[in-house]
Amino acid sequence: MDPFSAEGELLNLHNHFHQGQFQEVIDFDTAGLSPENALPARVLSLRAQIALGPAEDVIADVQGEKEPDLAAVGALAELAAGNESKAVTIAEKLAQESGDNAAVQLLAGIVLQAAGKSEEALTLLSQHQGNLEAVALIVQIQLQQNRTDLAIKEVQAARRWAQDSLLVNLAESWVGMRVGGEKYQQAFYVFEELAQAPATSSSQSLVSQAVAEIHLGRLEEAEAALQQALAKDPKNAEIIANTAVLNIIAGKDAKDFINSLSTVAPDHHYLQDLEEKSALFDKAATKYSAKVSA
Amino acid sequence: MASSTPNMLTKFESKSSRAKGIAFHPKRPWILVSLHSSTIQLWDYRMGTLIDRFEEHDGPVRGIDFHKTQPLFVSGGDDYKIKVWSYQTRRCLFTLNGHLDYVRTVFFHHELPWIISSSDDQTIRIWNWQNRSLICTMTGHNHYTMCAQFHPKDDLVVSASLDQSVRVWDISGLRKKHSAPTSMTFEDQMSRANQNQADMFGNTDAVVKFVLEGHDRGVNWVAFHPTLPLIVSAGDDRLVKLWRMSETKAWEVDTCRGHFQNASGCLFHPHQDLILSVGEDKTIRVWDLNKRTSVQSFKRENDRFWVIAAHPEINLFAAGHDNGVMVFKLERERPASAFYQNNLFFITKDKHVRSYDFQKNVESPTLLTLKKLGSPWVPPRSLSFNPAERAILVTTPADGGSYELINLPRDGSGSVDATDTKRGQGNSAVFVARNRFAVFTSANQQIDIKDLSNSTTKTIKPPTGTTDIYFGGTGNLLLITPTTVHLYDIQQKKSVAELAVSGVKYVVWSNDGLYAALLSKHNVTIVTKALEQVSTLHETIRIKSATWDDAGVLLYSTLNHIKYTLLNGDNGIVRTLDQTVYLVRVKARSVYCLDRNAKPKLLNIDPTEYRFKLALVKRNYEEMLQIIKNSSLVGQSIISYLQKKGYPEIALQFVQDPQTRFELAIECGNLDVAVEMAKQLDRPKLWSRLTAEALAHGNHQIVEMSYQKLRQFDKLSFLYLATGDEAKLTRMAKIAEHRGDFTARFQNALYLGDVNDRIQMFKEIDLYPLAYMTAKSHGLEEECESILEVTGLTEEQITLPSIGSPLTPPKPVVPTFKANWPTKATSQSFFEKALLGQVEGLSLEDEPTAASNGFGFDEAGEEDGAKRNGNLIDAEDDEDAAGWDMGDDIVPEVESDFVNVDSAEAGAGSSEADLWARNSPLAADHVAGGSFETAMQLLNRQLGAVNFEPLKPRFLEIYQASKTYLPASAGLPPLINYVRRTVDETDPRKVLPIIPRDIESLATNDLQKGYDAMRTNKLEDGARIFQGILHALLVNAVSTASEVEEAKKLITSACEYSIAMAIELSRRKLGTAEEIAASPEKLKRSLELSAYFTIPKLEVPHRQIALVSAMKLAYTNKNLNSALSFANRMLANGGAAKMLDNARKTKAQCERNPNDVHDIEFDQFAEFDICAASHTPIYSGSAYEVCAFDGSKYHSKYKGTVCAVCGVCEVGKNGSGLKLVA
Repeated sequence: MDPFSAEGELLNLHNHFHQGQFQEVIDFDTAGLSPENALPARVLSLRAQIALGPAEDVIADVQGEKEPDLAAVGALAELAAGNESKAVTIAEKLAQESGDNAAVQLLAGIVLQAAGKSEEALTLLSQHQGNLEAVALIVQIQLQQNRTDLAIKEVQAARRWAQDSLLVNLAESWVGMRVGGEKYQQAFYVFEELAQAPATSSSQSLVSQAVAEIHLGRLEEAEAALQQALAKDPKNAEIIANTAVLNIIAGKDAKDFINSLSTVAPDHHYLQDLEEKSALFDKAATKYSAKVSA
Repeated sequence: MASSTPNMLTKFESKSSRAKGIAFHPKRPWILVSLHSSTIQLWDYRMGTLIDRFEEHDGPVRGIDFHKTQPLFVSGGDDYKIKVWSYQTRRCLFTLNGHLDYVRTVFFHHELPWIISSSDDQTIRIWNWQNRSLICTMTGHNHYTMCAQFHPKDDLVVSASLDQSVRVWDISGLRKKHSAPTSMTFEDQMSRANQNQADMFGNTDAVVKFVLEGHDRGVNWVAFHPTLPLIVSAGDDRLVKLWRMSETKAWEVDTCRGHFQNASGCLFHPHQDLILSVGEDKTIRVWDLNKRTSVQSFKRENDRFWVIAAHPEINLFAAGHDNGVMVFKLERERPASAFYQNNLFFITKDKHVRSYDFQKNVESPTLLTLKKLGSPWVPPRSLSFNPAERAILVTTPADGGSYELINLPRDGSGSVDATDTKRGQGNSAVFVARNRFAVFTSANQQIDIKDLSNSTTKTIKPPTGTTDIYFGGTGNLLLITPTTVHLYDIQQKKSVAELAVSGVKYVVWSNDGLYAALLSKHNVTIVTKALEQVSTLHETIRIKSATWDDAGVLLYSTLNHIKYTLLNGDNGIVRTLDQTVYLVRVKARSVYCLDRNAKPKLLNIDPTEYRFKLALVKRNYEEMLQIIKNSSLVGQSIISYLQKKGYPEIALQFVQDPQTRFELAIECGNLDVAVEMAKQLDRPKLWSRLTAEALAHGNHQIVEMSYQKLRQFDKLSFLYLATGDEAKLTRMAKIAEHRGDFTARFQNALYLGDVNDRIQMFKEIDLYPLAYMTAKSHGLEEECESILEVTGLTEEQITLPSIGSPLTPPKPVVPTFKANWPTKATSQSFFEKALLGQVEGLSLEDEPTAASNGFGFDEAGEEDGAKRNGNLIDAEDDEDAAGWDMGDDIVPEVESDFVNVDSAEAGAGSSEADLWARNSPLAADHVAGGSFETAMQLLNRQLGAVNFEPLKPRFLEIYQASKTYLPASAGLPPLINYVRRTVDETDPRKVLPIIPRDIESLATNDLQKGYDAMRTNKLEDGARIFQGILHALLVNAVSTASEVEEAKKLITSACEYSIAMAIELSRRKLGTAEEIAASPEKLKRSLELSAYFTIPKLEVPHRQIALVSAMKLAYTNKNLNSALSFANRMLANGGAAKMLDNARKTKAQCERNPNDVHDIEFDQFAEFDICAASHTPIYSGSAYEVCAFDGSKYHSKYKGTVCAVCGVCEVGKNGSGLKLVA
């Protein structure tokens, strides 16, 4: 049975996971689940653990497990623990051996994409059979490749069979954030609905809401959402990075946030990018000089 | 087509024998029904109660009518009699005899004291009910006359007869004859006689005007139109015919075909272009007056209809049938409405969408017209508003139910037909999220969740029997079935809660979304958002609408009241209503509602009572206190409420009446008050109740007092014994002795253990044996002896029982009597404290503080005002300065031949950042896209920028503002999105990045900071700030040409300030005052620089600063001529009085000897600029170079150097000019 269908018993678990409520996923009572759902539930729970860290516990947990699902989790955990090459090796092996396993597709896809092997990831993911998570991942990879057109098609196709499911809405919102215009507003609605309902609120959805507000030019609202998120999760790199961006847009000083970002996540894209551009600037600036030095 | 609405809006039904006649009371909710069984019933159709029965007719009663103003009604029956009744005295006043056969109808005249009757004796008769006489008999019909009615305005009568004709009669003659006896001339009489053809009996009072023939069976009923010259008739030929008449003729207009049995009654709708008819085919039919097509029809299973009547004012009809009457409405009168924050959106009777602002109390002009919505006679049922999209969702029951989704225009411009509507089939439609709405179709029992483009995103099968849906909180729906309400989670597609409430018709959510009121016909059920029942209440009168107070009180309206209920179910009446209204909002003392004509109304209410009760429930004593102090909240109801709810201590505070106060005090155990009141009233009953209560409290002092008051000596004695108060006990003994109450004395003696007194007492009352026994048992031999002596007996003669040990009363261990038993101090509630002890503190001190607060506030306000004034002045200054600088602005040519940047060829997946660089010729956009090389190229070409190092923070700032990080799938880095300043743009070829610190923020923030630095003499900071502004402007983007102008002004201004500050700073760098004084060169330079400082075009207050400093320096160094010129310039500028005063003094001093001691290079009369690098004058006419960006001027020798002001551009390198707009 499709675990995403509204009637599925894993629906809440899935929703928690994709809403970024990882602790709720771990705390979820899986005792009452039917046997065929036990493994997917465990996989989700382990993924939530990886997301919350540390990944080493999960590596130990799945050590020696034969199930490809769990092996894939292991690969993801290795990735999170920083052993990218090991993760990729496992992922590639799994992709060859059991590429038809949904969890393998998904998790190995994540590992491959994270390692920059987008094409391989997409090939693996394209084997999915009605797996919304895979769809969402495909959409994300396509967006990362700046192929918004393909992402739009993917979402539209998914909407046909998955109706108003959370993941479809999320993926559509991700796409919307690229498309802009009215789509910003629609994406904002989705994020805001998640962020503002106490049952579904998480720092992830709050950040998403804030990002949408930044794009809509509603800086004060964005700031409020980010503060709310910071209060929930003060060490979240995404919150700090976006707060820094917001401050800069608002013409305020963002040094504190950049500093705290460099302690929380020294290899965050934001910082790497900044450093890169700073070097680029220096290099480019040398090409010019005044005719007469003062 | 005859579209039959499934459910008719029946308001009342009675069960009786066949109803032949019906009449509405014009004002009260009453209806008279005359029955075939000879009874006349008077019903209150609103309450559904039978008020009265009138049974004097013999046989069926067919005609009935209320008088418009008098408490009268008239009836006519098969006993040939017409009876006039008073419903006040409930009896028949008199009977009009004359008809020779059944009387069919009777009607009062609308103003004259006349009654018209029609009878099977083929006549129509007009009677005067004041003098109870027959005044006119109209003959002409040659079969039973079935109906005759007065015209509502004119002197006309219309009649229907089984002779198949309808006749219109002119009765103006009758009126003339019977109205005031004005003298009638002979000519008048003649003309009248001639004009009106006399009938065959020479009667000219009533003459036939028209005979309408068209029915080919008997005609049962006929009626005039209330305003138009139209007549409608119904006949046994099953037709309803419409006739029109003019002054001279009358003709048949059309026929309404549809009844398949005899049509027995018909009438015009009082307000709408409709005809209603009833027939023996058991149907009520509604016809369009203009098209004569069937609009609606209602069928009854078994009952043939005999008569129909309309209420003259309100939208109500009644029809009589074989088994009683039914009162019904043709359409719902509830205007569809929805409110959001301060706006109410509603649909008027003519289907215009309007809004109403609660704050301003203004109704908007029509926003939209919905003429095309549904069918013409069916008003929209519901309206759901989506504030985010400013869209409305309207449903109408027409055509089996349909909905339309329409975007509202921002403001109304009169009648605008809705365009861009999205519609579909469905019975109910509500918004469930900002971009989703739910549509329920009852036919196939399905709910579709749709997005704003009206495409279905999800389909739900609701529980069987669902009749309606309502919003159920975000992501939820409330599904209404006849017996239950389900809370349905759309995402999970399942019902998450269920509550058995039957017949729910409306759902009203509280403003905070935590509670909902479920309204059914007679019940209000309050539930939480999780559908848990909080309370429920029952009303005998129909509940029409409800709305929540901001404090969480539900106000609801019944047909004739506005009432409230608290969450706990406590309810009461707020006010009465004259007419039914639909509440939409409560704010403070105002209730906003819509009346049945869809007009917004504002009703004032007194919310004190429910506020008070709410405060009570929430134990918010401050508020209660406020309410008590500020309003006249008294009365029995509130006291009994408080008492009932277990707050006697609070009720106590309201009561003055001692008796009630006493009761309340007893109830809440407030003995002090109880004693006080008991003293005041001094009634034995009260004292004894007080005693009981005080005993329970262990308050023996009050008990003692009560016993004293009650003169209950024995109880008092026992109390003293119990409390160990021997002294008082002794006194009690004395009192007893004094009173001669031996029992009491004995008792007291016993209590006291006073043997002697007992013996003494026994002796006194000649009970020697007892005295002896007492003495003996206590071993008082002497006493025994004496007793024996007195009685003349010897010991031997007495047989004694065995004597036990003597009785000794126990000695008190604790002197209880000294104080009351320690009881737990009854904690005074805050409320009591406030009221009793600190009421002064609260009431008296509160107000002064409030007052002083107010005062403080005023002061603050003044300060604010002053500040604002200051700002205003500033602003004016700005403008002045701006005006001055105008001439300096040179609009550079806009570069058109922009060379495309060589970015990577657009392959699959170029990021938006790449697009920006492609989309824009602006350096800023290239920077945002991360294409720093091209940005530098652009700046170099445009402005001759060569030294980019100072721009690095600005570059990185823009670059960092361009991207956000959206967390997506766990485990992967976030999705990077690109922030645009073109928020509404989706065309990838037009999107442009956001540029932080735009012109507006620079002008409002940075520029002011720079001014502040100038004012506070922080020139280093100021120089940095102004250079920052220049850098921010150097790499920036604006959207309009006017903003470009603004930016140019800002650049010029920043440039001037930069130069000015640099001059002053270089002057300060010359050295300390001593060093300068020591060196003539330095002194000269210092004087020069201070003079130059006054040259840049600063804002006036800042220029004054420069002038003051220059003037002082010149004056102290005896350069009086220069000082004079500065002083003059200061005076010309104006400003603060003190400063001007100073200038004037200096001027006076200088004028005495206007000579400069030190010769400096400063010609006050010459035009010159300052070279930004060397800070020396550039006299007009001499050659100079400029910075292409900021326009600062340099001596020619500085050509090729980096501009000292912006620090970026090369002096003298002319570029194409600054480009800020794409």
